[in-house]
Amino acid sequence: MQTIWGNLFKRRSCGEDSLKKILHNIPVFQDLTDRELLHIERILYRRSYKAGEVIFREGDPGLGMYIIEQGLVDITLASGDQKLIELCDGDFFGELALLDDGPRTATATAREDCRMLCFFQPELMDLLKVSPRLGVKVLLGLSRTLGERLKRANEYIQILKTVESDISDQRRMNV
Amino acid sequence: MSSTSSIALRWVLGGICLAVVGYLLVSVGHLVKLVIISALLAYIIDPLASALESRGLSRAAATTIIFIVIVGVMSVAFLVIAPVLVKQLMAIQSSFKAGSADAMLQRLERALQAYFTAFDFRDLNLSERLQALTGSAAQWIFAHIMDFVSLLTNIILIPFMVFFFLKDGRQFKKHLVGLVPNRYFELTLNLIYKMDLQLGNYLRGQFLDALIIGVLSTGALWLLNVKYFFLFGAFAGIANLIPYLGPVAGAALAMTGSVIDTGELAPALSIGLAFVVVKLIDDVLIQPTIVARSVNMHPLVVLLAVIVGGQFFGILGMLLSVPATGFLKVATQEISACYRRYQ
Repeated sequence: MQTIWGNLFKRRSCGEDSLKKILHNIPVFQDLTDRELLHIERILYRRSYKAGEVIFREGDPGLGMYIIEQGLVDITLASGDQKLIELCDGDFFGELALLDDGPRTATATAREDCRMLCFFQPELMDLLKVSPRLGVKVLLGLSRTLGERLKRANEYIQILKTVESDISDQRRMNV
Repeated sequence: MSSTSSIALRWVLGGICLAVVGYLLVSVGHLVKLVIISALLAYIIDPLASALESRGLSRAAATTIIFIVIVGVMSVAFLVIAPVLVKQLMAIQSSFKAGSADAMLQRLERALQAYFTAFDFRDLNLSERLQALTGSAAQWIFAHIMDFVSLLTNIILIPFMVFFFLKDGRQFKKHLVGLVPNRYFELTLNLIYKMDLQLGNYLRGQFLDALIIGVLSTGALWLLNVKYFFLFGAFAGIANLIPYLGPVAGAALAMTGSVIDTGELAPALSIGLAFVVVKLIDDVLIQPTIVARSVNMHPLVVLLAVIVGGQFFGILGMLLSVPATGFLKVATQEISACYRRYQ
């Protein structure tokens, strides 16, 4: 049984240290100090998913991001069951839902038994209220991550445009 | 085993579990009440702990500081206010013996018999009835509130529970949400968040409003030279937590008390007027500023909720009926909205 003093002066366990390492590698949290990471750890939810279990479906209302502590996750588009990407330990997905109330843009399914860390919008809002400095740091990390993704998406669009113009040039030459 | 019988077995087991939990809750009803009161108090003062946390303190340190301040204030208040309260309670009962109330009530009775001949007011016995009512009320107060053992248990248990609800409330919430299946996890979390937004502000606003009304009523009664100004003022503040019926009950008690004490109607009328002014200040200034109107419910629904709450769970039921109905309303709205979005 836990004593009152034990409750008041809790010590860190080994599991919490490995969690800190995982969080440090997530771009959203990489600028945080150890103390700040401890605060984040406290507001994360730990969930387990069986192989084949759907984590969220495309079109579902989104509430937050998932970090894979252990396991493999498939991200697919419902239209034609097109697989977009396969994610593994330390990867994260669904971060757009932290800022946007819109529906999920893809489906996430556990390919094998998974352990997840979940960071949700209500906790982010609460963090901004309780610890605005830390909340802003997380938001900055989130913006940077989304900025990176936008840059990459632009690059893809650029490549697609080049390919498209090459194809139309080819067609014109053939004609 | 076929899937139909497995589902039936699950329902039966679920029903048995629910019945057992229900039975346990009823058997430890007093403890459940204490847990509800403590959880509500912790929920109401939670923003204070969060504000201290935002200044860099740990949750445990923030909770300890708040607790030391509250216990300090409560101890001083208890030492100063409790003797006054007990003295005023005793005095109100003994004032019957002075006879002035008797004379006044007899005058009132004669007036009623003279002006309202259509009604049968012959055996009204207002004086006896009021004396019996006051006597039983005083007995109830001494039996329930002044009972030393239960008072001591409550004084120790409530702060103890409030402390841990305040300190570990988030962990409790995390553990409870952890029990929800993956499929409904995000939905549940969203629901809790929306309800917290709507009901949290409402509850805290109501609490603060009751405090201000209590102070204003006490001040007004003191200015009117009412002997039991503190007792009636405090009651008016607490009663204000019950919509519609509360303010009327607060004023009625103070007016009746004044009639019993002085044996005259004029002071009771000025007390009534003072309560009308306090209510106006509340409606025009206090309510719009501090009480969030987010739990937008029809007055009839509120009134029915208060009556049903009182019928089943007494005064605590009346106090909690509005937040509980608001909780149900928000829960129904959110669940149906989420269900539509998930379709």
